[in-house]
This record gives sequence, C-alpha cells and structure tokens, in this order.
Amino acid sequence: MKPQLEMAIEQTDVLIAGSGAAGMRAAIAAHDAGANVIVLAKGPRRANHTRMSGGRYNAVSGLNRKDSTDAFFRDTLDSGAGINNYELTKILAEEAMDRAYDLEEYGLTWDRTAQTQYYLSMTGGGSFVRTMGSVDEGIGITEVMLHQLHARGIKILDFHMLAEVIQDDSGRVAGGLVLDLSRGVWHYFSCAAVVIATGGTSQLYETSSGPIINTGDGIAIALRAGAELVDIEFMQFIPISFVYPPSARGYTLTEPAHYGMRHFDPQGEPAHLLNNKGERFVLKHDPVRREGSTRDVLARAIMLEILEGRGTPEGGVLMIPDPRVFESFLKERPIYVKRLLENYGEGEARLEAPIQVMPSALYTLGGVRIDAWCRTNVPGLLVGGEAAGGVHGANRLGGSSMPDIQVFGRRAGMAAAEEARTVGVESARGLEKARARAEQLEAGLRQPDGVRPPEVKKRIQKLMWDHVGLVRSGPKLEETLRAFRDTREHVLPSLKVTNRSRILNREWMEALELENLLDIAEAMASASLLRKETRGAFYRTDFPETDPEWTANICVQRQGRNLRLDKRPVATLEAAKPNHSLFAAAGAR
Amino acid sequence: MSITVTAEIRRFDPSRDSEPRYDRFQVTGAENMRVLDVIRSIYEEQAGDLAFQFACRIGRCGTCAVRVNGTPVLACQERCKSHMRIEPLTPFPVLRDLVIDRSEIEERYAGLALAPSRETAHPGRPEPIDPKLAEHICHLDSCLACMVCVSACPAVEERPFDGPAFMLKLRQMAEHPADRTDRLQQAVGAGMLECFGCDVCTQLCPADLSPAQAIREFRKELLFGGRG
Repeated sequence: MKPQLEMAIEQTDVLIAGSGAAGMRAAIAAHDAGANVIVLAKGPRRANHTRMSGGRYNAVSGLNRKDSTDAFFRDTLDSGAGINNYELTKILAEEAMDRAYDLEEYGLTWDRTAQTQYYLSMTGGGSFVRTMGSVDEGIGITEVMLHQLHARGIKILDFHMLAEVIQDDSGRVAGGLVLDLSRGVWHYFSCAAVVIATGGTSQLYETSSGPIINTGDGIAIALRAGAELVDIEFMQFIPISFVYPPSARGYTLTEPAHYGMRHFDPQGEPAHLLNNKGERFVLKHDPVRREGSTRDVLARAIMLEILEGRGTPEGGVLMIPDPRVFESFLKERPIYVKRLLENYGEGEARLEAPIQVMPSALYTLGGVRIDAWCRTNVPGLLVGGEAAGGVHGANRLGGSSMPDIQVFGRRAGMAAAEEARTVGVESARGLEKARARAEQLEAGLRQPDGVRPPEVKKRIQKLMWDHVGLVRSGPKLEETLRAFRDTREHVLPSLKVTNRSRILNREWMEALELENLLDIAEAMASASLLRKETRGAFYRTDFPETDPEWTANICVQRQGRNLRLDKRPVATLEAAKPNHSLFAAAGAR
Repeated sequence: MSITVTAEIRRFDPSRDSEPRYDRFQVTGAENMRVLDVIRSIYEEQAGDLAFQFACRIGRCGTCAVRVNGTPVLACQERCKSHMRIEPLTPFPVLRDLVIDRSEIEERYAGLALAPSRETAHPGRPEPIDPKLAEHICHLDSCLACMVCVSACPAVEERPFDGPAFMLKLRQMAEHPADRTDRLQQAVGAGMLECFGCDVCTQLCPADLSPAQAIREFRKELLFGGRG
C-alpha cells in the first residue's frame, strides 16, 4: 500500500494568500473584526509587488479645492474607457483618503509642504493635482503595515504557497491546500473564508516590471474553483522602463510627466519621447495630451515605434528629460535617480542626457470578478487588490493601485470576518479532497524525464509578449491559443523536476506556477480573441478602432476543461445594487 | 562586452547533507551583470537544484542578500566579480544553500513593537508633522530589512547586540511625533551600547541609510537627554 502523503492540519477563520498591501490590509481588517487570521507569503513576507511600487497614492484630500471625489471617479472612468465596474470605482474614489489616513496612523509620514499640508503632484492620466506620496514609497507602505500585523500578533507564514482552494460538495470554501516550500510539506487549513491577495500576472511576459512571484496563482486558483474573471484581456504596460542592463530590463521608471514640468503643473510639458529619427511620435497618437497622455497610449506608441524599426539598437526609444525638475525629482524619487546612475550613467541620472526607455508589463487590470465587498460567485472566496478586476476598467490611472489595494484589501478582510462569524469553520472538512489534489501536485517530482519548468515558462512568456501583449491580432491570437493547448496537453504532463530535495525546490514551485500561468494565459488570449476592437490598454491591429458595441465586459468561467466567455453590459451605478446593509458603518472610519 | 566569471557556491541541504560543500560554476554574460544574474543563470543552465532567494531584482525587497567573498551584499545590486565565493548571509540559520531562515529576525522586529504607540487616536485628517521631520522618518522607513548591516557588524559577532538595522527602526519610532514608547531604553536593551562605531553598516547599506547615525543620535540622547 502506498504511504499516505504527510499533511499538517490546521484551522483558522480566515486564510489570506499574499503578503502585499492588499493581503496585509485584509489581515488587519479581519483581525480587527474579531477573526483569527493566517497570512501566507509565497516567499519571505517582504517579497511582494507593493514593495516595488513608487507608492504614489491618488486620493481626494480636500487640499486641492478644485478636485473632488466625483472628479476622481470620472477620471478613473475616462481612463478605464467606460468599462469599469462603476460601483467599485466609486468606492475607490470615496474611501481612498480614509485609507491614506489609516496608513498615517500606522506610521507612514506622507510628504508634506507644511505641517498639515500634504505634497500633491500629478500622475499619468489624472486631470487634477491629487497624488500623494512619500519618500519611502512602497517599501514604507509595506513596512508600516507589517508592524501593524506584528502588533496584532497575526501569524504570517513565509514560504507558504497556496496551491488550491478546497470546496465542499455545495461549492463553498472549506479550506486551503498549502505547500510549505521551506520544508516541502503540505498543509491543509480548514477555514470559513479564503482571501486571495496574490497580486497580478506580470510574470506571463518576457519583459515585466513586477516581482518573480507574480505568477497569478490566486487568479488561476479562483478560476479553477469556479469564480468568474472579468476584463482579463486587459493588461497594463508601463510605458517607461529600463532597457538595460538585462537584470533591470523592464523595471519601471514612472512616466514622462515626472521627467518634465508637467510634474508640477497640468499645463506643463512632460518629457518628450523621440524615435531614432528624432520624431515626437506620440503626437501621431495623442496630439492633445502628447506625452502627458495615459499609459496605454504611450506604451502602445512606443511599442509600435520599436516594432516598426524606429527604436534604438537596444530596443527602446529616447526620453528627453527636463533638467529643471532634477532637484525635486531627487528629493521625491531618490531611488530612481540612484538606479539611473547605476544602470545608465551620470548624465541620465541628472536628467541632462536622453534616457532609453521601453514598455514593460506592469499591472493586471482584469482579474477575479468581485462585488463591493470583494465577494466572488464562490461562497467563502474573497479577492482583493491586483488579483481582482473591475476597479480600473480598460486602463489604470498612475497612482491608483495603492489606494485600490488599501480600500479593497480592507473590504475583503471585513467580509471574510463576516463570513467566519456567520458560517463558522468545520475542522478538517475537505481534507480528503486536499489530499487527493496534493497527490496530483507531487507528480512532477516523480517524472523521470521531460522538460524543466524554467524552459516552459520562457516559451509562454515569449508567446505572451509577442502576441498577447501590447499589439494583438486575430490570427496570432488563434495561433497562440493552439500553442497553449499543445503545451497543456503535451508539455505540462512531462514537466521534469531535477531537484531531489523537497526543501526550497524552485523547479517544483515553478511547475506549480506554470499551471497557473497557463490557465490565465489561455483566458487572456481567449478573451482577447473575442474582443474585436481597441480600447484602453487593449489594442488589436485588425480592429484598431473603439467600438461602442464593445463598451461591455467579458467574463470568463471554467466549465469542465473549457472556458466559457460571456459578453456582459457594464455594471453602471444604476445596475449596481449596493449591499451596504451588512456593513452599515463600513464607509466610515 | 561579455565576460566569464567563476562562482563557488556554498551548498548545504540539512535534510541530506552532514556538512556543507562548495560547487564551482562558470558563467558567461554581460560585463555589468549582477551577482543575481550569475546565480539565476546557474539555476537555469547548470544546477536546477540550487536554492536561492530573490523577488524584485531591483534592490527593494531586500530578500536576496548573500555574502560575496566574505562581504554581505544584495545579490541583485552587486556587480559580479571574476572570482566569487557566494555564501548565505551569516550569522543566520540556513534553510538550504543560499537561503536563510528569517524567523528569528521577524520575531525580533515583532518584539520591538515598531508600530507607533499612540496616546490618542489618529485625528482622521492630516496629522501635524513638520515636513522635514516627515521626510526624515520616511528615509528611516526605507530600510529594506535585508540584514546586510547585521551580517557585517563586528559587534553583532562578538557581543550581545541585535544589530544596526534594528537600531535604525527604533530610531524611526523615536523620531515619530506620535510614538510614546521609550525607544532609547529599548535600544540600550537591544545592545546599542555595544556598537564599536566602525560605520561598516553605513558603508554597506544598499538603501544608502546610516544605522551608525541612528546609533549616534541615541547616544547623544542618552548623554544629553531626549526630545523635550
């Protein structure tokens, strides 16, 4: 008889996957609402995407009298090309500032011009000066939050990867199957609710800005559990990132607004972008906003120049910074100055020489479809932060991911605690299913020969970058989908793990990640094929115009082995039925 | 320009090995490649069983720190050298190969209670803080917790001292206007007086911070009294 797989069994009210700001904010909220919480971090807890962010934070602080919650809401809808989930967008605009105060309470000291006057600036796409920030950027945000978790005694498990959500026969969440990568041991956590806060899928692309861990695990797990995805065809590319050296390729440099006088003034000039002929090619795409345009327009414009042979030999274009902003840039974004100096040189760091830039996969706009309380269509499964879709629509304003993950991280945590209070936890419910799934996921360890996971990952990343990235077309999408199906049928079953140790087995982890990456890659390519138009961050060469018929969302759900795609009308405010009764005091602090 | 470098990597699997060994690899790549590029290449091309840690590859997550030829560095920021002996960060327990177990480090952070201990709740509007002070606190808050300074500190090696990174975080709290805990006493309790004042922590800090200055501020406070 085969020996039974070793499985540690634990119990908690709320299991949170992800140690970035969304996961930590959910943990704080769930804990403060009375729930027992465990946070899983796939790597060390500080290895998260929030940490890498510039930490710029859109909120209506009241300090710019011209700005308003309604203006923020409208800017977000404009940027999102009208397919946002209006209710989520409205919540973002309304609650962002209270969550910024929460961060200040946690110890973050926002940049100021006077004792109680925050320093505000512009970001890409916004029409008012409203963006807050702090010199410690995403690092500071994650640090102050982490110490709040410590203060509450919330258990954080480093090197614990959520492998699957386990459901009971009715479909309700029963627990989470987790691999402790540091020991190679399986854990089963019975719980009332799982919060997915595992971030986005930028690792689907050859050139990306995010951390190596962002393989979309949580989104794929939710999809497999029966949750619906929304807007998954929309991927945001940051227009301005490093071109070289190889290790820094794709790391974000923020946007041209920050390298020109538009940094201070909506009427000011952003840094110009030039191709190898010295032409300001952005003018062809957006003669009005020029280089101050939204990220989608800029990224696509740059990519087209590169693809059509008007880029630099290294594969970028040139940004001409304005040295007049250097002093303030150094003060506000010292890390970027340091990186420019290390990667490029002193002229570039002083904003005196042209800076080579290229686009890079930054933010997963789509994700799991959620309601106002981050609930999915799977009972007990909540999703917050980058793993959720709908808040930003077809494109995201610069400075809006930070408030998103705070606002919806908190809501996910509150709703999860409510789930725990009303439903309760049943010990070891779902254990047998968890055990069976773990057995399957051990397969790669026993494969005698085949392909190593890193090789397959590179193939998928290349296909995604070439055909499901900034520039897409019907024939290429079909070809790519065939390649993905072939990978699923012939390559995934023969993934080989050469490593014989169970401790920190990176190949094995990558094999688990590959299934997640491939699930989302197929969903992205399928939805891209269905959307026959161009909108926001989404560009089809065979359908280059925006089609009002497509002011709609695509929802993706798994049915057996296939994906079911639905075109749905946009959830405008009239369509939304806010369920505020459960949490009457939620909007208030 | 491409170069070929030799890397000797310390290998140790506590579940299988009785003692560590060093494996030698050669890697060819761009002249300005980083130590992390070398490690990743070894994993991808030569040793699929190598255990190593990184996430952001741009000096922000602070999780890729290793010792290169005896000096603690962030692997993603350090330029490669022609001959490198790459080892896990000391004096921490090793999970496997180049990856350390950070449990004790996190327990130490938790034990220092580094959230501001407020007398009154946050006002729910901008908290009055001097802009210069706010900026200073932010600088202290940009510590990566990478443990490079703790690994390099000679006082940590010889004396009962938690290490420079922890002093920096305590200083951040001491500077925060809302915090009411006696951070000086905590610093002394964590061994602050054992610091030799050698400044190695500041010289090696990948975030350009000065834990040594934080310690000097505490010592000044100890001699001349704290903030009024």
